[in-house]
Amino acid sequence: MVAGNSSGYAMFLGCVIPNLLPHLEISIRKVFGKLDVEVKDVAGFSCCPEPIGTPGLDITTWVTLAARNLCVAEEAGLDIVTFCNGCFETLKEAKVLLEHDAKLRSKVAEALSKVGREYRGRVEVKHFAQVLYNDIGPAKLRSYVERPLKGVKVAAHYGCHILRPSHLLQVDDPFNPVLLDALVEATGAESVDYFRKFLCCGCGVGNLDEATNVKMVMEKLHYMTQAKADCMAVLCPVCFRQYDVRQMIINKTYGKDYNIPVFYYTQLLGLAMGMTPDELELKSNRTKVDPLLAKLNGGK
Amino acid sequence: MVETYHEINSRFRRELAELHEEGETLNFCYQCATCSGICPVFRYNPKYNPRKLVEGMLTGRKEELIHDPNIWLCTVCHNCTEVCPQGVRVSELLAVLRNLATKAGNVPEHLKAEVKVLLETGLVNAPSKVTVSRRAKMGLPELKTADPAEIRALLEHLGFVKLTAKEGKAVKEESGGGGQQ
Repeated sequence: MVAGNSSGYAMFLGCVIPNLLPHLEISIRKVFGKLDVEVKDVAGFSCCPEPIGTPGLDITTWVTLAARNLCVAEEAGLDIVTFCNGCFETLKEAKVLLEHDAKLRSKVAEALSKVGREYRGRVEVKHFAQVLYNDIGPAKLRSYVERPLKGVKVAAHYGCHILRPSHLLQVDDPFNPVLLDALVEATGAESVDYFRKFLCCGCGVGNLDEATNVKMVMEKLHYMTQAKADCMAVLCPVCFRQYDVRQMIINKTYGKDYNIPVFYYTQLLGLAMGMTPDELELKSNRTKVDPLLAKLNGGK
Repeated sequence: MVETYHEINSRFRRELAELHEEGETLNFCYQCATCSGICPVFRYNPKYNPRKLVEGMLTGRKEELIHDPNIWLCTVCHNCTEVCPQGVRVSELLAVLRNLATKAGNVPEHLKAEVKVLLETGLVNAPSKVTVSRRAKMGLPELKTADPAEIRALLEHLGFVKLTAKEGKAVKEESGGGGQQ
């Protein structure tokens, strides 16, 4: 067996998308179904496990469960593509740590052997945005666009766990990346600059300190509004929930009037590729996407 | 305001350094507080102050830190690690600190709940009946996730089941991480 798996990717959907936001999965499957990249369902993945609480509890456990997921992909002979920043950080970081840290590697190997598994380090881990940006490339992505999102101003939100820690994840500049902006512009939209673009969505603090989380989300919504963004594009389902669901809660609870429709990137790309809002299940988004659709259809 | 002076010892920093591959970077900290300046939590909640937590690690305030509930306020955005001019792996060292807190039974309730679901299902967001029918309605395939028994067995071998079952001592509200930048 040689390193480097070639035909397609194992889809690592994680816990959040399939269980809490299945409409995002619709857009993922439909969009990737039309691209020249094969993404396959693979049985047997557990939680990645999430990179906020789990490493805090026990780093070795966190890396071991991640390594077991890497083993599952290895057994299927496929590299992994993740659709959640959290899953990406966990799996990629585990892979890199296991390459460098011999002590950790032997602890993990011993635990895995107890359930009859062996990690060989032959699986690559990519975020879907890397597949779009590196494997396909913005130029070729444009050739799939049938209805360019002309005149639409998009506030790109990368999220933390696709960028940092950059010495382990090795994706893009940790504070001045280009990847999502380029993907947004490939749809024909404009990626607008806004203050606090790299502010964290705050998910990690929400369970313990709701007020801080709310302030973080409001700060971001404020500056996106100021930059006259028509909508927001995200790469992570957890960030998506923070801005989509929490925006509605904030408007209700604090009497605010934020109106930034939130799109998971494949939803935005799907629209640009000519898919209808119904095909993409956009009605399941909590924020109202209608004003943006009206703008696209030449209304207002 | 009464200042409290602590006895300084280096046992704790040596312990932390050994628990992480790049743990020795802790010793490079010169307390410039660049980490606190970029911390999104500290902006709004001064109870979480990375600079002060690192100071506590350097000066040996182990007991105080591992029983501090505020060490869990981190969003794990890793900004601190990125900007540290001394290359201190701040976020990783804070995870090591939380590992010690977990051993001492200092685990927030929401994480205990998450662990319970993980031990039962192998996931942290498990499918409910509503999810299953919603997926079916949308025409999405059935989820084929890991056998929960295998995940449970792995977690038993790792000592994770026992570790997370531990009860901590009652924690006091105000503690080491807070205060000025």
